[in-house]
Amino acid sequence: MKKLYYDAKKCTACKTCEIVCAIGHSPSKDLYTAILEDNAALPSVRVYAGQDENYPMACRHCKDHPCVSACIASALRYDPKEGLLFDKEKCVGCWMCIMVCPYGAVRPDFRDSKSVRCDLCADIKDPRCAKNCPTKAIIYVEEKAINV
Amino acid sequence: MKRVIIIGNSAAGISCAEALRKKDKEIKITILSKEDYTGYNRCLISYYLAGDIKEDKLVYKPKKFYSENDIELLLNKKAGRIEPKKNQVVLEDKTRLDYDYLVLACGASPKLPEIKGIHKKGVFGFRTISDAKGMLELLPITQAACVLGGGLIGLKAAYGLKKRKIEVKVIVKSPQILSQILDKESAGMCKRRLVENGIEIVSGSEAQEIIGEGDCKAVKLDSGKVIASSIVVVGKGVKPNIELAEDSGIKFEEGILVDEYMRTNIPNIYAAGDIAQSYDPILEKTAVNALWPNAIEQGLIAAGSILGEPNKKYPGSVGMNSVEFFGLPVISFGITRPQDGFEEIVFKDAQQDIYRKIVLKNNVVKGAVFVKRIENIGILLKLARLKVDVSGIKDKLPRPDFNFAFTKDLQYDKEEVYI
Ligand SMILES: Cc1cc2nc3c(=O)[nH]c(=O)nc-3n(C[C@H](O)[C@H](O)[C@H](O)COP(=O)(O)OP(=O)(O)OC[C@H]3O[C@@H](n4cnc5c(N)ncnc54)[C@H](O)[C@@H]3O)c2cc1C
Ligand code: SF4
Ligand code: SF4
Repeated sequence: MKKLYYDAKKCTACKTCEIVCAIGHSPSKDLYTAILEDNAALPSVRVYAGQDENYPMACRHCKDHPCVSACIASALRYDPKEGLLFDKEKCVGCWMCIMVCPYGAVRPDFRDSKSVRCDLCADIKDPRCAKNCPTKAIIYVEEKAINV
Repeated sequence: MKRVIIIGNSAAGISCAEALRKKDKEIKITILSKEDYTGYNRCLISYYLAGDIKEDKLVYKPKKFYSENDIELLLNKKAGRIEPKKNQVVLEDKTRLDYDYLVLACGASPKLPEIKGIHKKGVFGFRTISDAKGMLELLPITQAACVLGGGLIGLKAAYGLKKRKIEVKVIVKSPQILSQILDKESAGMCKRRLVENGIEIVSGSEAQEIIGEGDCKAVKLDSGKVIASSIVVVGKGVKPNIELAEDSGIKFEEGILVDEYMRTNIPNIYAAGDIAQSYDPILEKTAVNALWPNAIEQGLIAAGSILGEPNKKYPGSVGMNSVEFFGLPVISFGITRPQDGFEEIVFKDAQQDIYRKIVLKNNVVKGAVFVKRIENIGILLKLARLKVDVSGIKDKLPRPDFNFAFTKDLQYDKEEVYI
């Protein structure tokens, strides 16, 4: 499957990814409306500063996906072709997934008691973070195409 | 054709059956359950009791899951005995079932104290969907309820009942609630939150008798005090359902002893889930860590063993919990109340109810408690499981802004996404 990869040296922590993520997952999908919306989405990617590098962090749709076995509401499923699939309607906000994600890639949204994680922009099948990153620090490619 | 019998239709049993079927289309799979319900999300019964979710959300696997995967599901069938020499399970109705492989995934049951009246109508263990339904049925005639014990399950029941506008008192012997999973500080924060929201905590007492003619009407405490209550929830912990194994030659201590392949001492018998006692990499000894994620993973490992996949080894179970009471989320894992020889690093902001404590031994994470700011705790769980030396970043661990970037120099992460 295609995955997101990050070049920590290229990332300048401009946080464009966070903004386009939040807008893209907000009901209006529009910047100016989204910032005024009470229910604007929380970005599911966050940029963390390292020493000389910056690390964008989002769900890796990882092979082990311990969050799937941890979910007590069967809201999470893993599909080898599509990655982690989240049924938000089933989520009860128990935060078990936060407890076990080894990367800190899930966050709680206390407003509606739902967990927030990267869905690879399933609606447009093209992650907005990668598309909009000004330094091309985020790339979206086939797993096999990358050799890290 | 080989036949697998799985005793238990919940997290461990179902994950085992599903994994078996995925790899082996031939093998005959039978699941037994003493309950009369399709596979359900046991952990959600408190949400159901509270009215936060409807019954349909409790369903984990609908009946069609079993037919589509060619899994025979026998509900309302209680296994009474195992005869390993004959490779047979004997049901309570005396039926004998032959197996080639047997998986004990029969979970745990609430511990009931031996006090007078404990079997009266209105006293619940809060383990099954029928417990939750039984409580809901009594709601119209209930004004007050008592919860015996300050453990997680009891408090979840207390929360559910309170949300149903029932007056709830929690009776705890020790001064601290949630003493199995939290330290004094974080437990105190939870207690405050519960009390602020109208749940009364009666400390220093224990129930002595359940009073009532047939139906429960009140609880008598050892202090002599009598508390009116038509629902009593016993939250004094759970006990693995090992009775089945008792005279079978299967080895057990608190739970059934399993190795890293979920094998018992008898070659074709496996155990998984709340019934199993497995290696705990944090405690560095075997333990019963009765939790949903552990049950799911152990079921998968048991399936791998039956299928002969020796490379699938169980990395061990860890004690971990996540709860939220009235908007205060708390997550903890591992050792939270250490004895001598451990180090504790704490961040606290009492005004904002933020508390983050890390427990270390020889610079290895052994446990953590996060209150309110719960994010990123999974990173610490991973560091603990892998026994990574964290001396370089120790002081940063409890900081609310702690995140994955802080751990980059430790270089323990194998699945790289950074190029
Ligand atoms: C209210 C509540 C809240 C919880 N919340 C959480 C949580 O937030 N996070 C978490 O990790 N865990 C939680 N748990 C614990 C979690 O539910 C268990 O760890 C998990 O269900 C264990 O699964 P299991 O498959 O081992 O056994 P169980 O779920 O106990 O299922 C046992 C199965 O075996 C069957 N069975 C038992 N004996 C026999 C017999 N003799 N013959 C035939 N069938 C038999 C039963 O009918 C059942 O199908 C909670 C539990 C409760 C009760
Ligand atoms: S949430 Fe975390 S554990 Fe789950 S798939 Fe994503 S990165 Fe992996
Ligand atoms: S917070 Fe939601 S997605 Fe995460 S484990 Fe709980 S129910 Fe599942």
